[in-house]
Amino acid sequence: MAAPLFLLAPPRSYTSLVNAMLGQHPEAFGLPELCLFNVEYLVELWRGSEGPISENGAVARHGLMRALAEIYGGEQTTATVNMARAWAGAREHWTSAQVFQEIVAKIHPLVAVEKSPSYTMTVDRLRWMLEAFPNARFLHLVRHPVGQCKSLMAINEGAFAIKVEAIEFREDVCVLEPQIAWYDLNLNILEFLESVPAEQQIRMRGEDIMGNPQKYLADIARWAGLRSDPDAIDEMMHPERSPFACFGPINALFGNDPNFLAGPTFRPNKPKTPSLYDPVPWRDDGKGLYPEVIELAQSFGYE
Amino acid sequence: MSDAPVTPKPKITKRLSPVPINPETKRSDPSMLTQHQEALRQAMINVFTAQKARRSLERQVQHISPNRNLAEGIKILFDDKGRPPPNAPLEDIVEERRRLEYHVMWFEGLLAELKNRLVRTREVEEYAFEMLSQATNKE
Repeated sequence: MAAPLFLLAPPRSYTSLVNAMLGQHPEAFGLPELCLFNVEYLVELWRGSEGPISENGAVARHGLMRALAEIYGGEQTTATVNMARAWAGAREHWTSAQVFQEIVAKIHPLVAVEKSPSYTMTVDRLRWMLEAFPNARFLHLVRHPVGQCKSLMAINEGAFAIKVEAIEFREDVCVLEPQIAWYDLNLNILEFLESVPAEQQIRMRGEDIMGNPQKYLADIARWAGLRSDPDAIDEMMHPERSPFACFGPINALFGNDPNFLAGPTFRPNKPKTPSLYDPVPWRDDGKGLYPEVIELAQSFGYE
Repeated sequence: MSDAPVTPKPKITKRLSPVPINPETKRSDPSMLTQHQEALRQAMINVFTAQKARRSLERQVQHISPNRNLAEGIKILFDDKGRPPPNAPLEDIVEERRRLEYHVMWFEGLLAELKNRLVRTREVEEYAFEMLSQATNKE
């Protein structure tokens, strides 16, 4: 069974696009957000687990349903999604690891490529991935904190920041502070990667991939043991060809960032990386990034 | 670490969220905040929820006039005489086609749900009439 390739990154870090690009490699299979390692047992995706970051929404299951419909049913329709529910029902007491292993075995010899940004919310979730796939490869995708935070606050009113308790207490008020999410989630990833052999991990800036995809996608392909010839690279330049790069049937619409699903075509661009020292636009007190955030961003190569 | 983009290995420090981690669940636990902090946090969430509801309502109002939205959406494909512009970018046309397809998909989904509800309501209605007629016969 080919070891999967996981993308690790906080939300809004180019993960949807990069995942779909890598998934279009002729020797790979790009999955939607399965969210499987959010829970220990499959049934918990339906039942929900306790706590502030519980996963009990139907949307968390859309990616898995669409993947099962596509892989086992050959298409994504209301009927095949219903079949996928039955498939999952028959395996409800399996661990998430067993379910993921079954999917990976089914698409063998293609390499599964997956990202679910919610995995980065706890180190435990990340460890479950490694326990399930000791030979898996991990691509740590980073994005400039200002760009990532602006994007995070623009989607769903910044609800994700609340979910990870990215809050700042001032004298008599509490405010959302997305840079805390950027920092803490990247910290979780770094802590997890301490336990991953060096040859199984790589870190890349999303802005670099967006600016020169041919070079960096080829780098990733070589590192992952995949072909890096021009044909393979050309395939990866078309994420919109993925069967998951669109909305799904009415009973499993999402499975990825809705913005990506609405416009998955890659348009070459060189994202601007603002200064780490300027005031940030989401704060009303004219302050900028925390010193800890600046230090971590610098270690990722931002200036 | 691979040799692709060379970056120094960052040091792992303390997390920034002021909400303590519960050692048992290993997750952020707001109940471990002080009473004052918990009240401030709850006030922030209340404001957030109210703002979100207001924005959601604004969006709903926009959806009430789908015909106008659709007309606005395809406007870019035509000039003031109703002809498609000669140099419309292919990406825009493809994007517009996808957007319209999604609109159609949403309406089809809505229609399917309404039909489903109609079938169920009819069943309930028929059952109610049947019960009523049985009760009348017994009397």
